[in-house]
Amino acid sequence: MKTKLALGTAALGLLLAAVPVMAHHSFAAEFDSNKPIKMTGTVTKIEWMNPHAYFYIDVKDAAGKVTNWGLEMGSPNGLMRQGWTRNSMKIGDEVTLEGSAAKDGSNIGNARSVTLSGGQRLFAASSQAPANP
Amino acid sequence: MSVGRRYHGRILLTTATLLVASFFALHAQGQGRGRGNADVSVPTPRLSDGTVNFGRVAGEKGIWQVPYITNMGMQLVDDQGNRLAPQPQRGGGGRAAGAPLGGGEGGGGGRGRGGAKAEPWVPFQPWAAAVYDYNSRNDSKYDPEGYCLPPGGPRMMATPYPAEIIQLPEQKRVIMIFEGATHIWREIFMDGRPHPTGDALNPTYLGHSVGRYEGDALVVDVVGFNEATWLDYFGHPHTDQLHVVERFTRPNKGTLHYETTVDDPGAYTKPFKMAWDIPWNGNGELSEYICQENNKYLNRLTDDFNQPIFGPPRR
Repeated sequence: MKTKLALGTAALGLLLAAVPVMAHHSFAAEFDSNKPIKMTGTVTKIEWMNPHAYFYIDVKDAAGKVTNWGLEMGSPNGLMRQGWTRNSMKIGDEVTLEGSAAKDGSNIGNARSVTLSGGQRLFAASSQAPANP
Repeated sequence: MSVGRRYHGRILLTTATLLVASFFALHAQGQGRGRGNADVSVPTPRLSDGTVNFGRVAGEKGIWQVPYITNMGMQLVDDQGNRLAPQPQRGGGGRAAGAPLGGGEGGGGGRGRGGAKAEPWVPFQPWAAAVYDYNSRNDSKYDPEGYCLPPGGPRMMATPYPAEIIQLPEQKRVIMIFEGATHIWREIFMDGRPHPTGDALNPTYLGHSVGRYEGDALVVDVVGFNEATWLDYFGHPHTDQLHVVERFTRPNKGTLHYETTVDDPGAYTKPFKMAWDIPWNGNGELSEYICQENNKYLNRLTDDFNQPIFGPPRR
């Protein structure tokens, strides 16, 4: 039952993501879809700007060491079509994201989806999302 | 996360991907046949003089939901409209579903980039094949769209930001407005003027467009392109000898059928024709998108020697 529900949610989520995404720069030149990331952290900075909105989070590892990550999303208009507003995320919020890490090993990633502090999960208008809608 | 859960998650993801793939397959096939877009069963709207209306019906919203076609090499058709690229088997898995519209990576991570050899049906000249191989090998990292420069030529109709077509019959022109990739418009002269010649034809990103109606088709002839754009995300090159003829039809309210002939004797050995459908989104409106605002991609872009393209060299 739990599996079914999870599957249904995942499928529904991906269908919602089927709204055409923005494509700005080469995803593959900067990020590696074979390096998936899922991390939770506290928002330290938000740039609600074109061509990509960015947010930065402090992520604490098991040893308590804090690392600041920068995450790329789609453009503000693309995000609004996915249900975001400029106030969906605020500094200090704890958020969880899934996406892909940068190829060069820096603490930069592309967020495909973000679960906000209130539990709402939104797609991030990532250029990685559906390849060919 | 335990290995078991990760494995479970992977199955879940695969299943979900397949579901999505089937959705796209249905959607793509449905665009011309009445599934997935209710407007495809609505007759073609017309202006008061009987001309096909390529835009909104008065009092309604609507935008053309331009698809993301990453590799135009997959869109080549013969005179009968049959695709030259081998078509994937139906139901044959995830990538197959996207192929009719896109045919490639689409930002997904470098899959399926085989360079010019993978597209023997594209009439590359040797230098164009070499440039295409280079763009293929480096994941299109130097794509002009990544620099927030406009798509040129047919790529306007393959860059996934919505667009509108506004016909102004009394003014004898058609305006096309594009939300992205650089918030740009095209003006198509419908007054019968010829293209400028000689130095009067200044090379530009979008070229010089003159149009006419041929029955229910809007036919646009474009010359005068500069060489600062690529034909597509995959990086098919072109020269300033590029001559594009576009044929827009609207077989029903929900579908814009786009056909384009690319004739560039500077880069290809013969002209080729491409075609795809662009679905109508009856609830859509354009919104602001200013690519140049904060393009961090440039800050991190490095050249083939791993040196920053902008900013001081690395030691």
